[in-house]
Amino acid sequence: MQRSRIWGFLACILSLALFAGFVYYAFFVDAGAVTLCGLASQTYYAIAVPIMLVALGLCATGFWVGWTILTIKVAPPMPEIVEKKDYAKVKAFFLCALMLALAAIFLYGVYIRNYWALAIPAAAVTLVVLGMVFWVGIAIITARSTLPENKKK
Amino acid sequence: MRVLFLCYRGNPYCGGQGIYLYHLTRELAKLGVEIDVLVGPPYHDPMDEWARVIKVENLNLWCERTRRIPYEKLVRIFSPYNFVDYALTRFHIFPEMETFSVRAFSLMKKLLKERQYDIVHDVQCLGWGLLPMKGYGIPIVSTVHHPLTFDREADFLIDKTFWELVTTIMFYPLTMQRVVINRLNRIITSSVNGVAELRKAFGLPARKISVVYNGMDVEMFRNTGEPREENSLLFVGNTEDHKKGMRYLFEALAMLPDEVTLTIVDEGPPSRLTAWGMIQDLGLEKRVTFTGKVDLSTLVSLYSRKTILVMSSLHEGFGLPAAEAMACETPVVTTTAGALPEVVGNGGAGILVPPKDPRALKNAILELLKDKNGRKAMGKIGRKRAVEHFAWPVAAKNTLDVYKDVIQSCGRCV
Repeated sequence: MQRSRIWGFLACILSLALFAGFVYYAFFVDAGAVTLCGLASQTYYAIAVPIMLVALGLCATGFWVGWTILTIKVAPPMPEIVEKKDYAKVKAFFLCALMLALAAIFLYGVYIRNYWALAIPAAAVTLVVLGMVFWVGIAIITARSTLPENKKK
Repeated sequence: MRVLFLCYRGNPYCGGQGIYLYHLTRELAKLGVEIDVLVGPPYHDPMDEWARVIKVENLNLWCERTRRIPYEKLVRIFSPYNFVDYALTRFHIFPEMETFSVRAFSLMKKLLKERQYDIVHDVQCLGWGLLPMKGYGIPIVSTVHHPLTFDREADFLIDKTFWELVTTIMFYPLTMQRVVINRLNRIITSSVNGVAELRKAFGLPARKISVVYNGMDVEMFRNTGEPREENSLLFVGNTEDHKKGMRYLFEALAMLPDEVTLTIVDEGPPSRLTAWGMIQDLGLEKRVTFTGKVDLSTLVSLYSRKTILVMSSLHEGFGLPAAEAMACETPVVTTTAGALPEVVGNGGAGILVPPKDPRALKNAILELLKDKNGRKAMGKIGRKRAVEHFAWPVAAKNTLDVYKDVIQSCGRCV
């Protein structure tokens, strides 16, 4: 078997194992009983601030996308596009509102030291990255190589 | 003087960056400038005669579904830069500029152990990596033909759904470019019009912008002497680019007599369908032909044979086809958008009409089609203007003047 295909298998196995481990330990084992209130403030915020920055960054990106759509000031040449765009602006408004609400809920969760306020953003980022590693691994395993035989190993 | 060029896409057959890099470096070398080039794929024609070229990896994963990425690229995805590239493209972000600039920054560290540079010349990248690069203490200039805000607005014009709008917004790295461009030593743009555009788009002060007109190979682009066809219009450019205003060109063609035909130098159906859809809407299928990609000699031949070059653009950072047609003694009808009035000039090399006005475009074309002697005279004027203003040696000399000015203002010796 080619070495790169072995890497493909390893990527799939590793990402699946990490995925299962993450979900099990983050959401099932004692997750409901976790309390962060006993942690010293410095210890708590050392973990919470990086997660907070990532989560707020994602919310800000979503808000910025919605806001940009809401404030587009170009004159489309075709009327049918204008109509469809107006509908897009309604969705953009809801996107902005959703992002603001998520950011507020998240900040409140961090303030009251709720476990889920840290676990959910961390899970979102981790699972997306693992998902991509897994997907590339699958693609490597199933892709057909066009390299000449002498270069495959 | 020693210059390090950065260009994230070197291919001279798609986009203007590769052409710019190839010709400008060649002419600068003739002026005694030593040149190193860091370039990303698709790579340019060999430049080894006059420059040291260092290829920078990029898998060009944009728009490729994971399952369709070739195996040879897939197995390289797990390197850190490539994985960042891959991850960002999955969210419809176009990361080539970001990752190229960071890779270039990293490579520069090695290069600087061997040799020192007087200036770094970035070609339209404006990536995050240029910021730490400033720490090397070398002035950085960047060429920006037009701000990406125009491309984004042109995309907004035809985006129909919420999702299309979202992907358009995610695609253009405008925030990065706005931050980076204001921290570079000088920006070179290709028209006086571009100065105002850069100020408007990025809040860039005029003192940081220098105008150097684009160049072209005026020896290659010259009239071949082939007989001119009558009633035959020519369009050269990317028909999928919404800034080209194809709709208006087709509407003008529909108003012209049936014997007037249009040749488009670009891919047509089945690979490119946007323009073809408009052609079908207006019933112009028998009057419009697509040449597909053509080599340089065929392009020069087309410029020399067709009656008029038409550009219906809503914006042009420069408008190279107009300059090329002028060099081939072909009269042009263009809009007044962007830098086109500066390229065509007011000396009689062509007719300018307002953008988004198919009737004005039709009238100008008709006027020229009826006046054979006028067209001939316009062609001669156009050739003269092209040689005087848009030849690569002129562009190289003016670029070198900008380098000297930047180096002087940064307190370094040439």
